[in-house]
Amino acid sequence: MFRRSLLVMLALLLLTAVAGVQAQDAVGITIRCKASPPEEDWRCNSFAEVEEQVEMALGIAIDLNLIQDNAGWADYKQEFVLASEAGVAPDIILSGHEDIGAWATAGLIIPLDDMIGMHAEFEDIVPTLWDSHKLGDTIYGIPQDAEARPVFYSKLLLGDLGWSEEDIESLPDRVIAGEFTFADMIATAQEAIDEGVVDEGNGFWHRPSNGPDFLYYYYGNGGAVLDDMGGLVVDGAALLATYELLGGLTESGVMRSDLIGVDWNEVWHPTVAQADTVLFAAGGTWNWPNWAINYVADQGGDAYLFENIGLTLIPAMGTGSAITLTHPLTYMISSGSENPDVALALIAAITTPEHNNKHAIDSFHLGILNAQLESEAYANNRLLSSAHYMLDHTTALPNHPGWNAWSNAYFVGIQAVETGEATPEGAVDIAIAQMTNELGDGITVR
Amino acid sequence: MQANLTAYGFMAPAGLLVLLFFFLPVLIVLYLSLTNLASANFTSNLAEMEFIGLRNFQTLLNDQFAKKIFFNTIFYVMSTLALFNVTAALIVSLLTAHINRRAGFVFRALWILPRITTSTVYILIWRRMMAEAPFGIINQVNTALGWPTWNYGAENPWVFVILVNGFIGISFGMIIFTSAIESIPADLMNASLVDGSTYLQRIRHVTLPLLRWPLLFVVTYQSLSLLTSFEQILLLTDGGPGLYRTEVWALTAFHRALSNYFGNTQWGYGSAFAVVLVIIGVILAVVYMRVFRFDELVAEPRIEVL
Repeated sequence: MFRRSLLVMLALLLLTAVAGVQAQDAVGITIRCKASPPEEDWRCNSFAEVEEQVEMALGIAIDLNLIQDNAGWADYKQEFVLASEAGVAPDIILSGHEDIGAWATAGLIIPLDDMIGMHAEFEDIVPTLWDSHKLGDTIYGIPQDAEARPVFYSKLLLGDLGWSEEDIESLPDRVIAGEFTFADMIATAQEAIDEGVVDEGNGFWHRPSNGPDFLYYYYGNGGAVLDDMGGLVVDGAALLATYELLGGLTESGVMRSDLIGVDWNEVWHPTVAQADTVLFAAGGTWNWPNWAINYVADQGGDAYLFENIGLTLIPAMGTGSAITLTHPLTYMISSGSENPDVALALIAAITTPEHNNKHAIDSFHLGILNAQLESEAYANNRLLSSAHYMLDHTTALPNHPGWNAWSNAYFVGIQAVETGEATPEGAVDIAIAQMTNELGDGITVR
Repeated sequence: MQANLTAYGFMAPAGLLVLLFFFLPVLIVLYLSLTNLASANFTSNLAEMEFIGLRNFQTLLNDQFAKKIFFNTIFYVMSTLALFNVTAALIVSLLTAHINRRAGFVFRALWILPRITTSTVYILIWRRMMAEAPFGIINQVNTALGWPTWNYGAENPWVFVILVNGFIGISFGMIIFTSAIESIPADLMNASLVDGSTYLQRIRHVTLPLLRWPLLFVVTYQSLSLLTSFEQILLLTDGGPGLYRTEVWALTAFHRALSNYFGNTQWGYGSAFAVVLVIIGVILAVVYMRVFRFDELVAEPRIEVL
């Protein structure tokens, strides 16, 4: 009996040792993604689907470790910075392209120019997307997705206001042509309030917290964040026009003055998704599947949304052109990665129409590959085909280490003017004072 | 000599903890506040950080909202302390100490719930309570009763910030006061009863004078603790709505150094905010010790000296 136990133990030890050797041979790759479940889960889950394929191609064993949740952006980004310094950064980090500004400067992520040529998959990426993945002329990230930030309009309420079906359906085209401007949108919202179609404050809503969207008001009024040399600038005139526009929205009662601070999940999404309370709401394409799954599933999900909500570019402001903003998420390889070539091979393997379409269709993010746009699955998707043209009118956040201070000051000005705590001129003074106080010589006021 | 060594020996573990978890962090924060450490140049190697002298403090002094945040902090600490951590705690202690002992215990246990509930859960409950119509529970009650609805978060953020923190703060004072009340010798109470005192007179002339030390201790401890607390405000209003309406100093330090929407945080600048808080805390502690004569509290009882 004793001898038998001894043999079993020896066998177990041997097995463990063999397994240990195998594990040592496997290349460990950790990938960190932020995704809203379930519609965005392909961001990390796609890697599991190509693991074997890459193993066969490279002739190695890969020990894939996917860490995916929906943590807040602030915590998520902080986690990567601290993990990098502690020497336990993931091999691949998915984050907003604007992080390239700080992370490449700090040396937390590696330049990819020399390695990109090794994978033909990357040649098919929509060329304009690369611009937002560079710091200077160096590429630091591979696009994961793209999106547009449109205005959602309630077909239901526009109908109540007396718009014909033709008026409603032609709205996106009229916005592109510059026939229906932001001023027209405000006037329509005001009319809806005057006629009792919507309550005061519900004519137009933007997002209720800081985020990339706010920059398109500034861009749309002719502002720039970077000069030709890549230095930070702020345009006083564009800033004033932006604050006059946003301050005017709350002062006239078209938008509620306490919108910033409203809870996304408890108030913003459930209200906008119903399409019966707010006439125009500026959001993001990815809101749609979230609404369909979480807020109007009982009423028919997608079908309810298609019937009652439409989407259009942000109507033209000062520059006269309709606009949107794309904020691609990007896969970056950390400088702590011991196998950046394997990491990049994995990214290349999922950068195909087949894999990216799953993400695009499930989460209503726009495609990143030329072949994807021509693929049947993408082209036949009603939602994607109704929004893809927006990429022709898009803008992006800058990649600059000072962007954070710039955007915080810009947002403080928005809060000041929307709550009525400052006039538009006062808000410009507040924002510029904060920018110059924190960025010093690092910013040019013009 | 022997007695001194024994005393130091007993104090050593506590002393070591204070050294490790107070003095050392203070020194590190002080050092960080003199550097421009941020996400874009992050390192944990002190020698690699770029020393910029007092520039962070200069930026802080020039910050147009620093004054507002400073006075927000004073308002928050004093209101919460005066209304809840001391007054309400005292009232709860007096009431529960003078009713049936078991009932008193049950009520005190209920008041401890806010403190032992996980802060995220606790704040979720409050957020759902105060949310605007038709989502919030208070507003649902208002609607059912035919009363007007109210956007509490936007209109009265301070009321809720103080309530949320006050409900947590009550338990500390309540426990200290209750144990002090229960340790008041019965003969003092009996004597006052014999003298024909009313209930209120007993509280005013017997109980309260004997609660002097616990009161001073609670004021001291809780004001310093409120000064550095921000967790509940972060979760409830995140300093908003609008322009820093409920932002307190410790929350600003957190926002600057550790948490920012676009991710590029400024450890150096945030540390400058933290250093100011440490200085205020130390000054307050010294003032409290002098004004409230804490040395008398810890003096050896005279009866034993004789």
